[in-house]
Amino acid sequence: MSLLNVKGLQAGYGKVHVLFDGNINVESGELVGIVGPNGAGKSTFLGAIAGAVKASHGTIEFEGESIRSKNPEDIVRLGLALVPEGRAIFTDLTVNENLRLGLTGRREKSGAQKAIEEVIDLFPVLTTHRNYQAGLLSGGQQQQLAIARALVSEPKLLMLDEPSLGLSPTVIQDVFGVLSRIQEKGTAIIVVEQRAHLVMSIAARTLVIREGQVRATLSREDTQDEAKLAAAYFGTGEDLE
Amino acid sequence: MIQTILDALSYGGLYGLAALGIGLVFGVMRLVNFAHGELIAIGAYLLIVTIDLGLPISIGIAVTGTAILALLMEFSVFKRLRLAEPSVLLIASFGVSVFLQRLYEVIFGALPLSGQIAPWMTGVIEFGDTTITRGSVVTIGLALVLLGGMWFFIEKTTLGLQIRAASSDFHTARLLGVRSNRVIGAAFVFSGVLAAAVAFVLVTQRGSVDPLFGVNITILALVGTVIGGLGSLQGAALGGFAVGTTISLLNSFLGNYRIYTYTWLFILVIIVLLVRPGGLISNKAVKERV
Repeated sequence: MSLLNVKGLQAGYGKVHVLFDGNINVESGELVGIVGPNGAGKSTFLGAIAGAVKASHGTIEFEGESIRSKNPEDIVRLGLALVPEGRAIFTDLTVNENLRLGLTGRREKSGAQKAIEEVIDLFPVLTTHRNYQAGLLSGGQQQQLAIARALVSEPKLLMLDEPSLGLSPTVIQDVFGVLSRIQEKGTAIIVVEQRAHLVMSIAARTLVIREGQVRATLSREDTQDEAKLAAAYFGTGEDLE
Repeated sequence: MIQTILDALSYGGLYGLAALGIGLVFGVMRLVNFAHGELIAIGAYLLIVTIDLGLPISIGIAVTGTAILALLMEFSVFKRLRLAEPSVLLIASFGVSVFLQRLYEVIFGALPLSGQIAPWMTGVIEFGDTTITRGSVVTIGLALVLLGGMWFFIEKTTLGLQIRAASSDFHTARLLGVRSNRVIGAAFVFSGVLAAAVAFVLVTQRGSVDPLFGVNITILALVGTVIGGLGSLQGAALGGFAVGTTISLLNSFLGNYRIYTYTWLFILVIIVLLVRPGGLISNKAVKERV
């Protein structure tokens, strides 16, 4: 049984449909990338899986259980956490308070403090800033806080929406390095990115979303094949499987 | 002079409590609840109707009843409009407000209902040549206790942290597991409790209650929440305090010209908003519901 299985997902905002055919299958401990042009429906796809965007058709199964009609607060308790685009940390609260909020979605209420300490180990830069107001952190530190906050709920699947947005190349390397370490601990990860090469370098496979549909699946080796990448990304050719 | 300062502080505390009650609900729902005035009114009605049972019991009934009515508003009307635009919520709150005013007319009559809640509060305390009213002292004490209690709840408890997070970004708070019904329900309950406290002070001052009892203070407390910074709980309390204090001081200093108190108040409000459009404590994370 797959950890996450999504078929024929349709979602949007009011009468505006953005996602027409979302499909993804994620196994435990797997790292899957999603790329695509602006407005392709990538964020809507993740939002619909996390319960933040209303899905109108299709199925979403997490560990075999249908979660399509569940609230986001119930979905996170099942072990599926989303780090939204733009980080969405609470800038008025301290780093510690942000991390405490992450505990809200834990299935196990015991061991909360230990979970925070373990996550902090992954992001040493947060250790010295725990009582700082989160809005005073740099962009890279805020991104690390957003990921750390999601991790304290001990998710089985972590979804990240454009974690490289607004970060310098050095900081991006740091953030993506941490993702590999999170995966090594057995957590499955879905990363949505504009920077196709970046995500393809760490993902076992990468889905390409264009005009609201999953159009292609690329392997890590396809990173070198610019023509195939361009065809999948911009639709200049047949859709690839 | 001392009485003037005490009056200003007690007015400030009273309006701070009213504004915090409104700010709590606005924070988690982006709902400007005009029906908050009717929560204050029911608190006052319950106090007058049940005062023969003794003040402690009467206060208990008023606080419980007001909190229950606040929850009823949420469950019967606002919960059904969670996905609606803020303008729809605003109009709905007008509807609830007018409905409750008419309901109070039917139940309690359109004429003012009189009663003495705490006559000892109208007396004075003498310090040598200086006399101060007990009402001012009690109001300041009550405001300090309730604002302090609310500060502790908001800043030091897990539910308070969740309410602060939901006030800042409700969407993200839900993604982290914050239960929307729980924080919104808690905000309405505390809003009701604060409305009952305001009702207690107002009804002891006025000695009567009518269906429009809470309208005036609610409008001015709303001004306070805007001045303080919409979406900021500290800002709401501070803004309400500023409005109440200013009204009291203007009333004292304008003397025979006190009919111009509100004119000057709103001139000051406009100046504050021109200088700080986001309010005294701006919450830049104010976002619409999805």
